[in-house]
This record gives sequence, C-alpha cells and structure tokens, in this order.
Amino acid sequence: MGGKCPHRHVKKRRYSHKTARRTKFLNMGDDLVYAQLNKPDEERIPLPVDEDLPGMGQYYCLHCDRYFSNVAVRDEHFKSKRHKKRAKQMMGPAPHTQLDADLAAGMGMPDNGPKLMSM
Amino acid sequence: MRLEKCWFCSSTVYPGHGIQFVRNDAKIFRFCRSKCHKNFKMKRNPRKVKWTKAYRRVHGKDMTKDSTFEFERKRNRPERYDRNVKEDVLKAIPKIAKIRAIREETHHKKMKQGKHEKLRREAEKELKQGINMVKAPSVFQQDPSYTLPAIKVKVSQQKSVENHPMEE
Repeated sequence: MGGKCPHRHVKKRRYSHKTARRTKFLNMGDDLVYAQLNKPDEERIPLPVDEDLPGMGQYYCLHCDRYFSNVAVRDEHFKSKRHKKRAKQMMGPAPHTQLDADLAAGMGMPDNGPKLMSM
Repeated sequence: MRLEKCWFCSSTVYPGHGIQFVRNDAKIFRFCRSKCHKNFKMKRNPRKVKWTKAYRRVHGKDMTKDSTFEFERKRNRPERYDRNVKEDVLKAIPKIAKIRAIREETHHKKMKQGKHEKLRREAEKELKQGINMVKAPSVFQQDPSYTLPAIKVKVSQQKSVENHPMEE
C-alpha cells in the first residue's frame, strides 16, 4: 500500500500521503494553542535549546506550532497567507470543547456540589 | 453508568457504541459513530458543520435557554440513594420530555414566522431603495403617476347617524 510509484501519470498520486496524514496530529490541537495564546506573556514557557529541532528550537511560531531555522525564515512565515489565516482563526471565539457539546445537547452546567474548603 | 455526549455531534453515546480518543495530554474525545470520528480527524469545526447540535445552537435553530435544560447535568458528586426520590424522578422524566418537545415545537414555529416577516420587510426596503434602477428619478418628477399617491386617512370621524332602509 502506498509508497513510491514514479510511473504514474498524475504527479500528485505518485507518492503516498500517509506521513502527511500522520503528522497532522503531531501539531498542537487548536484548544491547546488557544489556551497558550490567552496566557499572559510571563506564564509562557521560554524556548529551551533543543538540538533536534530546527534552529535549536529558538525560532518558533505559536499559532502554527512550527519551528524555523532562523529569524529570516520565521519572519517570512509570519507574512504567509497560511499563518495569517491561522492567526485570524485564533483571534476568534474559543475552539469547540466537550462542555460546548454537552450544552448543545441540552445539558446544564456541570454540578460539582458545594465547595468543601473555603479558600 | 454514565451516558456521555459525543464530542462532535452532541448525541448520546450508549455503552458499547462509538470510539474514544485520548490525547497525550489525557484529554478525552468521545464519538458516537465513525462519521463523527472521521469528521474530527479531518479537523472539522462542529460549529461549521450543519448537522451537528453545536451548529444548530450557534445559529439559533434550536432552543438555547430553557428551564428544562437544568435537569440533565453532569454531577461530579455521589448522590445518596433514596427510593422515593428515584420513583419521583422516573415519573417526572416523561413529563419533562413532553414539555420540552412542546416548547421546541413552538420555538421552531416562531423562528419560521419571524423569517417570513423579515424577508418581506427586506424585499420592501430593497424595492424602495432600488426603484431608481427601474425608473430614472427624473421620470418621477415629470409624471407623479408612477409613485404611490399619499393617502390621507382620518382616524375618527363622527358620522351623522342616518338609518337608510335596506335596499333589495
């Protein structure tokens, strides 16, 4: 299944797209990115130096969860349509959650009972 | 036993049905059937897919606020078993379901009515604003017959009371 087949006529179908399908879920989910973006700047984790990542993991785009090899490439990414689209999406309403699904199904807010400890 | 709701379409997931996905941050996503699971894998937003409850809620197709929504809840605390309470609850469930169905029906009716009225008003406004596309404004000035005449209606008028005999 899949794999290389360079003799095919249509260029798109020559190679398997399995990796693309798998790597889709290596990125951070929408809700995680949204939560990170809404945190104040001090709480965000500083970028650790990582040899395995491109550019030692120093050039990062939080919206798209991507690492870049240097500043120039990252800034180029910031100008791209894909990034702008993603940034706009993250500016909008919060992503769908299980709570939203429950409320839409006609359930009330979760009942956690009375608070036992006063803060 | 808990009956959970599907993450994508908000339908009830009964035991032995559907699939659940646990992300590596221990967040659980439950799906009632493969349709919902596949849609999730395609990274679709349930608020933009028309057949989900989330879409219907966001776009005002279904009731959003109602007192009947307060009964079914996720209760994160142990409930002490009481036979009398249980009996009452079992009696109340069909009644509440009936009330809810009636309210939903009235909501749908109201929604459709409102739409009709709105469309008519919009069409009227568009006609008024765009009449110049059909006839040039100079034509109206020359010939007042194209515009509707201003109707004067007297609201209350006392008529002299005369009783005519009925004619055959």
